[in-house]
Amino acid sequence: MHLFLLGVSHKTAPVDLREKLDFSSRDVGAAVVALAARSSAAESVVLSTCNRSEIYVASAAPETAREEIIRFLGEYHQLPADSFTPHLFSFSESDVAQHLFRVAAGLDSLVVGEPQILGQVKDAFQAAAEKRCTGPVLRKLFDWSFNVGKRVRSETALGEGAVSISFAAAQLARKIFGRLQGRRVLVVGAGEISTLTAQHLRAHGATEVAITSRTAAHAQALATKVGGHWVPWDGLANALAGADIIVTATGSQRPIITRAHVETALRGHRRDPLFILDVAVPRDVEASVGEIEQVFLYNVDDLQTVVQENLSKRASEIERAEAIVKEELGRFAAWQRSRGAIQTVVALRDRFEAVRRAELQRLESRMGGLPPETRAVFDQLTRLIVEKLLIDPTEQLKALPDEETQAAYTEAVNRLFRLRDENGSTASPDSADDETSSRRRPR
Amino acid sequence: MNLIPLILYAAAGIAYAIHFARRDAAVGRTATTLLLLGVLSHTFVIGMQTMEVRHVPFANPSRAVSTFVWLLTLSYLYLELTTDERAMGVFILPIIVGLQVIPVLSPGIENRDPVLDSPWFWVHVSSLLFAYASFGLAGVLGLTYVLQFKEIKKKHLGYFYTRLPSLQILDRMNSRATVTGWAFLTLGLIVGVVWTVEAKKLAPANSNLQDIGLYDPKVLFALLAWALYSFAVLARGAMGWTGRRAAWLSAVGFVVVQLNLVFISYFVETSHTFQ
Repeated sequence: MHLFLLGVSHKTAPVDLREKLDFSSRDVGAAVVALAARSSAAESVVLSTCNRSEIYVASAAPETAREEIIRFLGEYHQLPADSFTPHLFSFSESDVAQHLFRVAAGLDSLVVGEPQILGQVKDAFQAAAEKRCTGPVLRKLFDWSFNVGKRVRSETALGEGAVSISFAAAQLARKIFGRLQGRRVLVVGAGEISTLTAQHLRAHGATEVAITSRTAAHAQALATKVGGHWVPWDGLANALAGADIIVTATGSQRPIITRAHVETALRGHRRDPLFILDVAVPRDVEASVGEIEQVFLYNVDDLQTVVQENLSKRASEIERAEAIVKEELGRFAAWQRSRGAIQTVVALRDRFEAVRRAELQRLESRMGGLPPETRAVFDQLTRLIVEKLLIDPTEQLKALPDEETQAAYTEAVNRLFRLRDENGSTASPDSADDETSSRRRPR
Repeated sequence: MNLIPLILYAAAGIAYAIHFARRDAAVGRTATTLLLLGVLSHTFVIGMQTMEVRHVPFANPSRAVSTFVWLLTLSYLYLELTTDERAMGVFILPIIVGLQVIPVLSPGIENRDPVLDSPWFWVHVSSLLFAYASFGLAGVLGLTYVLQFKEIKKKHLGYFYTRLPSLQILDRMNSRATVTGWAFLTLGLIVGVVWTVEAKKLAPANSNLQDIGLYDPKVLFALLAWALYSFAVLARGAMGWTGRRAAWLSAVGFVVVQLNLVFISYFVETSHTFQ
């Protein structure tokens, strides 16, 4: 069984083409079933995210896989093949594993180390498995990739630190307040970053989001979008007093939140910290507000610096992550080689078993007078001798260090024991491999 | 005997430091296991000493320090196991290891003055030692709060930012440890005063006991600690002294407590000894 991969990604195709070839907005399960119906591949998985559409197959005929997948992509997305073929990339055999491991580790992502990709890879495999389009080869490959993804995340800092301003703000809020449940967020001005930040804060558990803007309609629209409530612009002072987190993004040319405003808001019973994120340019909040003991004031440049530092840290972790990928790739290749030796091992066992049976058959006339117990002992004894003779060659064949040596050894064994049948082929590993025998056809 | 807990505490300390630097979960679990083994062996040591002298050994300063270390370790483990937060281990273990060196180098003999054969003495000392252990935790939590606060306030989100819990959690844990410590300190001091007055009547010839008064350095430092922590508790509730101010108070308070527990016991002449 051979591995083959064909796809497009943010590295090879522009966004409009990626959108046309996207499976994630449709039913990926249906897509993988459609692919299985049109292709000769025994196993297939469709991985589709906003940055990539990739088709992984395990096929006995890799030479036809490429054409079959291109035809499928064209028919499924109703696109002429020449509109997307220049943007396709493909890998085969161990390069497929290397690519998938890098994808699962977040090394091939647009934002290196982004955390969602591992879950997306798992979902893609799950969707294919549910439709019975996977088998032992892709199952092993994808399981291995999940492990690589987990290792890279736990052993390196590749996925650490926020790499977008809005996410960095939400992470900072959690570092100040711990859980955001029950925290009140005030959004002043309805810009893009403030919208994203409000959404991130909501996703992190902030329960109450108030939005105010000079243009009431903008505030109301944003309130609907993020599930918050609208506060009239002249209620800003009161809203400041009730907020734990303030996000400001107005187009005002002068600061709209002064030190006096904040000191008034903090007066009274308030003891908790106040986190102010000022993403407006020019700034909405007086710089001296940051001097107040319990106020943490961040502007867009501060967060940009945080993001840049995090990106640099991630970049410095790439080498360690690549080393993990390389190490796991070596182990996966060893597994593949041991699998490649199975054909010869199975043929060798069949050969020995055939000789044993033939010899027992030949002696049948002379053993005819023996009681059944004695004959059973003969059968057991000869079986044990064969098993013991085969232990070492089996292990040696499975543990060969590289493909070249393996080819030489298997060829030698095939010749020495005349293992090839009349057609020149050995037994299929699928016939003896328990894992392989679970291969299924799509529903 | 105190050497085995010390070795296990030191090994746990190294593991906590590696865990803090590398954030490797397996190393963190190893650190906790080593600390649990350390506190178990320490429990065995204190148990053996209790059986030997037929009372909990804390009249001798070294054994009092050993009992304090044991209580501090238990309090820390309680905090770690209930919050699943190991970051403080790297700060608390140096205190544990440093103090456990004292009973190893100077084991001392528990030769208690018979005047101390009273359950009130047990309540007095154990309450104070538990209070000091709570203040030890509060001090470390305060220190970590200040480190985290500085990084966030100065916008240098670096080493501690990625490793320590949120400011709010550190502040809340600091508050709990301070209030618990203050309650036990108050109880220990009240019991100490009441029992001393009674004991003075019962043992008029005991010069140490008769000399105990407000001007004794050990009593003075205990009262200073009580005043400081009373202010910390009051200021948090009434004046909103949370966060960094509360953290600094905890750190200063713990220095006072350590001076009383170690420095005054060993280097200052005090009538507060009953050996």
